[in-house]
Amino acid sequence: MTTLTLRLDGREVVARVDVSGQVFIDDQALMVTPSGDGLYLVSDGTRRWPVAVAASGDTCWVSIGGQVAVIEVESGRRRTPRRKSVRADALMAPMPATVVKVLAEPGQTVVEGDTLLVLEAMKMELPVRAPRAGVVGAIRCTAGELVQPGIALVDLE
Amino acid sequence: MIKRLLIANRGEIAVRIIRACRELGVETVAVFSDADAHAPHVLAADAAVGLGPPPPRKSYLKVDNLIDAARDSGADAVHPGYGFLSERAHFARACEEAGLIFVGPPSSAIERMGSKVGARRLMQEAGVPVVPGEAPEDQGDRALIAAAEHVGFPLLVKPSAGGGGIGMKVVRDLAALAPAIAQARREAQAAFGDGTLYIERLVKRPRHVEVQIFADAHGAAVHLFERECSVQRRHQKIIEESPSPALTPALRARMGEAAVSAARAAGYRNAGTVEFLLESAGDQARFYFLEMNTRLQVEHPVTEMVTGVDLVHAQIRVASGEALPWTQSSLAQRGHAIECRVYAEDPAHGDLPQAGRLLMYREPQGPGIRIDSGVVEGSEVSVHYDPLLAKLIVSAETREAARRRAVEALGRFILLGVRTNIPFLLQLLQHPRFVEGAIDTGFLDREGASARQALSADVPMAALAAAAYRVAPDRPAGRGSANPAADPFMTLAGWRG
Repeated sequence: MTTLTLRLDGREVVARVDVSGQVFIDDQALMVTPSGDGLYLVSDGTRRWPVAVAASGDTCWVSIGGQVAVIEVESGRRRTPRRKSVRADALMAPMPATVVKVLAEPGQTVVEGDTLLVLEAMKMELPVRAPRAGVVGAIRCTAGELVQPGIALVDLE
Repeated sequence: MIKRLLIANRGEIAVRIIRACRELGVETVAVFSDADAHAPHVLAADAAVGLGPPPPRKSYLKVDNLIDAARDSGADAVHPGYGFLSERAHFARACEEAGLIFVGPPSSAIERMGSKVGARRLMQEAGVPVVPGEAPEDQGDRALIAAAEHVGFPLLVKPSAGGGGIGMKVVRDLAALAPAIAQARREAQAAFGDGTLYIERLVKRPRHVEVQIFADAHGAAVHLFERECSVQRRHQKIIEESPSPALTPALRARMGEAAVSAARAAGYRNAGTVEFLLESAGDQARFYFLEMNTRLQVEHPVTEMVTGVDLVHAQIRVASGEALPWTQSSLAQRGHAIECRVYAEDPAHGDLPQAGRLLMYREPQGPGIRIDSGVVEGSEVSVHYDPLLAKLIVSAETREAARRRAVEALGRFILLGVRTNIPFLLQLLQHPRFVEGAIDTGFLDREGASARQALSADVPMAALAAAAYRVAPDRPAGRGSANPAADPFMTLAGWRG
């Protein structure tokens, strides 16, 4: 029996998988049968669902009837939550994008909704706005730069 | 007949054109940026030429590189696809001057219709109705604001060049006007190199209904009926269908005639689309010329599905100098077709475009299902290009049958590794207003939020179980694959002894 912790949308679920392919989540038992490359048939004994799963490291992408879930799977029981690699008060790009304009300056006082930066991705302009009032700290990007998601662009203090 | 065609595009449309060429015995030359060296369109073509770095302005938009690629590869013709350089008159002219056949209209027609302002004027002269509006010669802020005050709010600020809703802004009051003008001008300048703007009255609850037209070099021009494209967000279409649920036979005939008049007035040749705004429905509905798209449209397959023609075949034949393969009376609209655009974007988070690797990609199959796609499993979805991954087009005898077919097929379309709008498309297709066909261009703005709420529904337990099974290190390997259809509970016997 393998014990795994599943994380999605900020909640955690513990699953146990036995050698027969039965998966126990909470007090439910589900039977999982592989049915082809990346495809599985899941049954609770009454109903059956075809499910597609693609794994990339600890991340599982799951497709079920047109619905998609991204689930983090870790061996064992719950660990302490992973520490975020960036400061909570830093603003990040939501996707890979090009910085079109930097409007904010270090030390500037801003109110909620003020546009700090303008990004461009896939032909759309995307304003990066202050989520709350504060003072602009370091600016970590320049106009014309290609930025990646999860990287701090502006600090808000 | 064209012997070797260079396709100056990428993605699904390049693949679709290459396949049509194979059927006609025309050789193909693909072009690619460094990001696309192993893309499906490159692998599908007979030859391929690299253009440069990933950003479009350094590759797919480089006219000189494209003309050189055509000359070096021995191509005698160029197909621009849609987007990129397809509606840039200077590209068509560069092809003409290099002695290459441009598979599309003459550069003069692109020029005429590419200026939205000039096109409006031309259509008015040809007796085609246009939306009330103003296009000031003086492009200063003051003159544009004065024009806006004449037209009245709410209104649209629109770039004279380009298309796809880029740079277009809805303005509801005077306070919002100046920033909208500045932003529209900047976006238009960046996207099209031309910041010219005009102001148009915002038609209340219009439908977007467009008519496919086709003209040859021998004076023949026909229309191939309409496409209803009212399901759009930020002026980008998401679901298109033919016929439009709003047209009566009399209205359809009037709009078809107006579209053919528009094509003749433009001196048009090859495939084009005349877009109309439709106000109210039934025989008393009014329609206004919106713009003419001087290229093949993304949504051309719905027309192919209801008319049974191949528009790309016809494009290549007409560009080769042949006569149109149809007359108006030989064309008929039969059954119903719906296209859903599958975008790499996250519908639960403001439709943000997504990038990443397609870990899993499986297309649904079945009667009346067509997929036009430019990706395969393992493809890298890049931030540099349009987020359109694939188009699912279904056809059936009636609108309701086609709608149900689209829902069924989308539920089986497996795309993992980047978020897509498939869950959102499923919500829209099952929305009561869409089911009734009671849609206008504001449908998504009004109803999109409720459709989005349904997206946050709980993840089924079966999804969690499959993920756990997939990752569990000592799961039973390979079991079940021998007989996937068997009831899984029957297979337990051997394990419990």
